[in-house]
Amino acid sequence: MKKIVLSMLLASIGLVASEGTVPYKSGLLLPPQADKIYEKECTQCHGKDGKSTSFEGSSRVTYAEIAGMDAAEVAKTLKEYRGGVKSKDYQQLNKYGYGAVMRSATADLSWDELDAVAKYVNGLK
Amino acid sequence: MDNKYIEKMLSKMDEDLSKQGMSRREAMKLAGLSGAGIFMGTATSVSASEEEKIVKSNAKGKIVIVGGGLAGMSTAARLTLNLDDPDITVIEPEKLSVSYQPGQTLIGAGIWDEDDIAYKRDDFVPDGVKVIKEKAILFNPQENKLTTDKGQVISYDYLIIATGLQLDFERIKGLEEAGRAYSAGDNSKLLKALGDNICSVYTAEGATKTWEIMQKYIDQAKSGKKTQFVFTHPSTPVKCGGAPKKIMYLANARLKEAGARENAELTFYPNGGAMFGVPEYHDAILEQFKREDFKWHYRHNLVEVDKEKKIAVFDSKWQEKGPWDPVMKDFEVIPKHEKIRVPYDFLHITPACIAPREIGESDLGSAKGWVPVNKETLQHIRYENVFSIGDVAQVPMGKTGGSVRKQYKVLVDNLIALMNGKTLEAKYAGYTVCPLITDIGTVMLAEFDWTVKPTPSFPLDPTVERWVFWLMKVYALKPMTMYGMLSGRA
Repeated sequence: MKKIVLSMLLASIGLVASEGTVPYKSGLLLPPQADKIYEKECTQCHGKDGKSTSFEGSSRVTYAEIAGMDAAEVAKTLKEYRGGVKSKDYQQLNKYGYGAVMRSATADLSWDELDAVAKYVNGLK
Repeated sequence: MDNKYIEKMLSKMDEDLSKQGMSRREAMKLAGLSGAGIFMGTATSVSASEEEKIVKSNAKGKIVIVGGGLAGMSTAARLTLNLDDPDITVIEPEKLSVSYQPGQTLIGAGIWDEDDIAYKRDDFVPDGVKVIKEKAILFNPQENKLTTDKGQVISYDYLIIATGLQLDFERIKGLEEAGRAYSAGDNSKLLKALGDNICSVYTAEGATKTWEIMQKYIDQAKSGKKTQFVFTHPSTPVKCGGAPKKIMYLANARLKEAGARENAELTFYPNGGAMFGVPEYHDAILEQFKREDFKWHYRHNLVEVDKEKKIAVFDSKWQEKGPWDPVMKDFEVIPKHEKIRVPYDFLHITPACIAPREIGESDLGSAKGWVPVNKETLQHIRYENVFSIGDVAQVPMGKTGGSVRKQYKVLVDNLIALMNGKTLEAKYAGYTVCPLITDIGTVMLAEFDWTVKPTPSFPLDPTVERWVFWLMKVYALKPMTMYGMLSGRA
């Protein structure tokens, strides 16, 4: 999974750089750009609009519809997935078996960036 | 500094000197000489550099330096001195990038303040060097190109990576919102996350805050309340390996000065199993710890803080003898670890230090993030037109300004040799220096290299704490760095 995510990540960097637009990469202490982070880390499952609940043609894989969710709630959940909200036993969140996927998507993000993404998700309609 | 210190220092000085049958004037001369020695490198290089005039090379090529801190700017300055027609670009977004970081421990103990170390990048740009005030975020070494955060694509013939390192506070549970930090610049987010009982001299602003918090707990100890001072040292290589202890020695000095030492307990929790990598200095420091009645626990790595309850959680590691292994014909060794909860009043954190992610995740970084270079020539192991220097270079024991002072001359010689198609002959021998402050007024000058033996610049026992080195640390090293190194000469 990590490899897939990484190769996607590298591919997206290549695209961005070659198109000559202003590049962005999370985790570099730059001001957070939630739309770009969302596009890179979240759209594949949750969709551009945050309403996607399954892979096309596969009803067995289901995701939460996240568009418009409360920003504070999303931020807290993302931080728990990433690991590090004051949990007594260091167990990271693993709701519905998505812990590993959500962790790989959030691992490289700072809390600033997670807060920004949460706000972005809240703004999706 | 107020008079009390100077008097104390002078009386100590005289006491020391009379033992050696030296007058203060003679000693000052020695200190002056020592300063010059430090200024110019070893005694032999003083005469050598005076004799040989710099022959400027007419080598051509566009040189890009990523990072304009002490390493990057000094290298730019020295290249300018050594090239006929230099084409040098420095990429650096932080306007206080050349600030004098070795002064941060002195700020943490209220001896200097932030103004004493704040130096502006734009005041130290060598003539003819172009500065791009952006951040390089994407690297394409196959095509000799990089991209900045503003989308500017910059190509180069030769690249020098001197980005420095980042302070990784966010890996400590309970401090995630602190994020990662650089030592210079705005660190308000970090300070807010650390709160009013946790401090770190590893950032300039944090050093000022350290002194505030330290005074608060010195007062508490003075009022008669038992006060716990806890100091950490992480599991990664760190910038200035002496600083975690220096701030402890200085807190101790301030406590003694306030007459509050007996109510304070000072404990050091290093991740490693020794005080110093060089046995001679380890032994000396251990004696100092015993003399000052410090406590210490090896192999403790800070992993979590509970800010409300004021508890630091350490991962403590040890090994136990296991059962007999009939195949290996020996007992197994079983590594064990457990979480230790330590209550604190004052907690000084030395954060884990990591390479910036844009370097680590590019083709230029190694698995651990640092830039893999030949440790002697400082040339990248895969890209021959790429060099690295300073904190980000994967060089053992090299994360100090003292290392940079030796490295940048080697790098410049080798880069010019490469540009001229010659072999790279200059070699860095791993020299580094740690002026370990052991009290207000005394410093043990720990100098060493890859031989892991003391390599003193002066004909004096290097394991002895001396006031002359304090004078050098407080008065001589800053001008040497700011006006010597940054002009490419010292």
